[in-house]
Amino acid sequence: MTYPLGWPLLPQFRVKRERWPGKYRTKGIPLVYPGQEVVPDQLVLRLEQDEQAMPTREGKVANPDHQPSASPASQPQILQENVPAGLRGRVVGFTPRGGVVIESKVAVLQGVVGSGIQVAGVVTPWSGNSETDTMPSIPPGAILVVPGPLSLLLLRQAINSGVVGIVASSISLPDLEGFLRTDYLQMVYADDMELVQSGFAPITLLCTEGIGVLPMSPRTWQMLQHYAGSIALLSGATSLRYSIFPELLISLSLAETPQNWQPVQPDTSLALGVLVRICSGRYAGVIGFIDYFFVYEQSFSSGVRAQAVRVRMEDGTFCVVPLLSVERIA
Amino acid sequence: MYTQPYPEGGQGPTAKKNAMAPNSLLIADCGAVLTKVSLLGLVEGQYRLMARGEAPTTLKPPLEDIAEGIIQAIQTIEFITGRKLVENKQILVPEQPNGDGVDLFITTISAGDPLHLGVMGAVSPALEQLSAQAVSGLYVQEQKIPSPSYVAATTPLNVAVGAGGQINPASKWTQELLAKEWKLQLDRLRELQPHAVLIVGMADGPAGPTPLQEACQLVVNAAREGALVTSTGTTPTGTPKLFPVFYAGAPQYVEAVRRMVQGVAEVTPLSPLVAQEQLSDIGSLLSTLHEQEVMQKIPGYDRLRSWTSTVPVSSTTSLSSLVRFLAQHYAMNVTAVDVGGSTTTIMLAGEQGEFIPMVNMGIGVGTHIGDILQRVGLQRIARWLPFPVTEGEIREFVLDHMLHPQVVSTEARALQIMQAFTREAIALTVESAQFQATEVPNADLILATGSALAHAPKFGQVVLMLLDALQPRGVTSMVIDNAMLISTLGAVATVAPVAAVQVNENDAVSHRLGTCVIPYGDVRPGELAVRVGVEYSNGKQVTIDVMGGTIEVIPLHSNEQALLTLFPAPTVDVGLGPGERARAAEEIDGGLVGLIVDARGRPFHLPTNETERQARLLQWAQVLGAN
Repeated sequence: MTYPLGWPLLPQFRVKRERWPGKYRTKGIPLVYPGQEVVPDQLVLRLEQDEQAMPTREGKVANPDHQPSASPASQPQILQENVPAGLRGRVVGFTPRGGVVIESKVAVLQGVVGSGIQVAGVVTPWSGNSETDTMPSIPPGAILVVPGPLSLLLLRQAINSGVVGIVASSISLPDLEGFLRTDYLQMVYADDMELVQSGFAPITLLCTEGIGVLPMSPRTWQMLQHYAGSIALLSGATSLRYSIFPELLISLSLAETPQNWQPVQPDTSLALGVLVRICSGRYAGVIGFIDYFFVYEQSFSSGVRAQAVRVRMEDGTFCVVPLLSVERIA
Repeated sequence: MYTQPYPEGGQGPTAKKNAMAPNSLLIADCGAVLTKVSLLGLVEGQYRLMARGEAPTTLKPPLEDIAEGIIQAIQTIEFITGRKLVENKQILVPEQPNGDGVDLFITTISAGDPLHLGVMGAVSPALEQLSAQAVSGLYVQEQKIPSPSYVAATTPLNVAVGAGGQINPASKWTQELLAKEWKLQLDRLRELQPHAVLIVGMADGPAGPTPLQEACQLVVNAAREGALVTSTGTTPTGTPKLFPVFYAGAPQYVEAVRRMVQGVAEVTPLSPLVAQEQLSDIGSLLSTLHEQEVMQKIPGYDRLRSWTSTVPVSSTTSLSSLVRFLAQHYAMNVTAVDVGGSTTTIMLAGEQGEFIPMVNMGIGVGTHIGDILQRVGLQRIARWLPFPVTEGEIREFVLDHMLHPQVVSTEARALQIMQAFTREAIALTVESAQFQATEVPNADLILATGSALAHAPKFGQVVLMLLDALQPRGVTSMVIDNAMLISTLGAVATVAPVAAVQVNENDAVSHRLGTCVIPYGDVRPGELAVRVGVEYSNGKQVTIDVMGGTIEVIPLHSNEQALLTLFPAPTVDVGLGPGERARAAEEIDGGLVGLIVDARGRPFHLPTNETERQARLLQWAQVLGAN
């Protein structure tokens, strides 16, 4: 889980994240020591939970030392689960619940909406049509990346194939709520952080553009394709109350982090020539460059007048949108 | 209805005289969603609004500094005026010989979480209502946490839902049930995470003094668990600040209460809460606590303070100050309506000092728009729309606005949905105000502000929203503060009263929408409701019959006056009783919309037939020039 970082896509960033795959009544036992360097597929945490707690989706293992009780109903069985790091980096601490805090140099993709616990998986791009095409055979444990909107059909196929998470451009609200079987509007404003983190999703979701039918930005798709086959850490936790948004973290390889490596410092201020995304109205999801700041308020089709900018879209055409409807993305 | 003292003391904005006469002022209003900054300056000897800018409030990451949003809004003003106001991320004070900078910088804040208050002890329905009234004008979220013994003494078991809703066959509160009730109240306290508690109740209640003792014990238990929000500061004597307990219960137990919470909480004794006279004391204490425990902890507050010698005040304090000033100054009942992103505020001030404030926390058209949908349901939203709408469309609209609360509705359909939510935000707040006040006076002047109203592209849309949601009666005037200034002018008045008065008249309340005549009583659809006689200043006379169920607009422009005579039908009232004719002693003013006659009846009901309802909505909007 993460607070807004400024830009939705940060190709070079330094993060500290707690490796903790959510859930109630769970105790974590770190398998690493402070200062230890870890790699993404290295097991760093053992979770112990009673059988009533929600299991995670990452390599659940039975405790070989555990002797099943004669009366399981009255004495909950203890299940153990080993959790991989998902990140390449250094262990910098532990949280009171036993989570392992890892510092890592990563590429970050921050989504607009999502749901589900933190999972680690292999980035697996798939550019088929989610409405019509049958998903190819995908190894269990993958994080599926779809450049278009999600459909219920695709979600069902993903669950059946053992995918741990999906990154897509968008999803309709009825599909999302139907999939989660919950009121999403209440969930994203819930007090309960555990609920927000776990959600109800059987797989973890991240939508890069938001709700509706919006295509994924080509920059995002290109970055995800570049990291195909890499292990990534995906969190779907979304809370408007606590300003937490879903994220995908992909640790940079050693080749990508030379000695003079510097993280990107996101600047959210709007200026001529900066790349922006339009976040509402008929141009919602469109990406372009600010071409002109209007001195006077402009009138829009609803009759509303507002401070406005002209945006040169990626296809070379222009649109005029309210200043408050654009967000800088690079 | 009760009277509160002005938070800044004295008789209100005009009472304080300040020798300093600033040449220019920059005023910032940091709302939950948007930060609005206005530049005021002297133009031909009068203070006027010179430019304004808006930017998203930056209370949350990535910026997480309220001052950043102010600077961004100021940059818009700099862009418009070509005047430099910020240097090295500091406000340039005072005004420079070349015109850069400003003499004064003033801030009001409505952003941030509310203060959480637990009302504990023997919380009877009467005391619950009084405590709600005490906090109704503040950014305070209160919750009733009655003592278990009081619940047991006042709640028959067959309706006892507190202790898990269980019905005891013996119809008696057992120790087990009391223990469950105790746990429930402790859970409530944990969930609320209060910044303070108010202990109320007298010793002669049905449970005697035990509820007061239990309230103290609950506080002590919650403190041990860390469930109370405790300040990290120190007192003037250097000792650590303790959790604040305001004790407005039986006076003979003040010392006992102090002893019980010793080391955990600091007790402030107040007069026992038994009547409305005590409300202002509680209100003042909570207002101060809100400033200390909420406002001063907003990220960037210290930076804000470093820019100015004037202390930032809460927007509601500023607004209440101005509204009461206007009520006294113009000798009329004034109703102010402010629809914000996370809060909707309605304040009713009477010329005799009556004051009914209602700050509806969590009801707004920004990040909290989902709460409106949850409270009223789809049907109450959809009833205001002249087109069919699906639940999916409304829910997606709501989520979009929760994710991007700062955006303006550029499409007509989205704007109409937003205005439907605005109506319901106001209506919910009116319902809360009516719950707390036994008598809500008819307004002579309705003053509207907040972005949902101020940004409405047509004045007729504002009139229709106010008529639909407030449902005023009799004769009233409407004014829109489309520069969104009035929430700040109360604060301006404390340091520059002349500027506040002049900007108020020149720019804040200058957009008079018109005079509204709203007949009520037995208004029958299709039958004559009222005959309106208008005698213009130029001698021209017009008589119009207004039928029940309709709205009429009679031309009366902003610079025109007319004498008004009303002849209601025998069953219809225009303020003097059913069928009583009314003739205005003074000429009424025109407005941007005109003279509006709303004969839809009070309370008015929309047609149940879908086609008819949509046709009516379109017809009313057309008459007012709102579509």
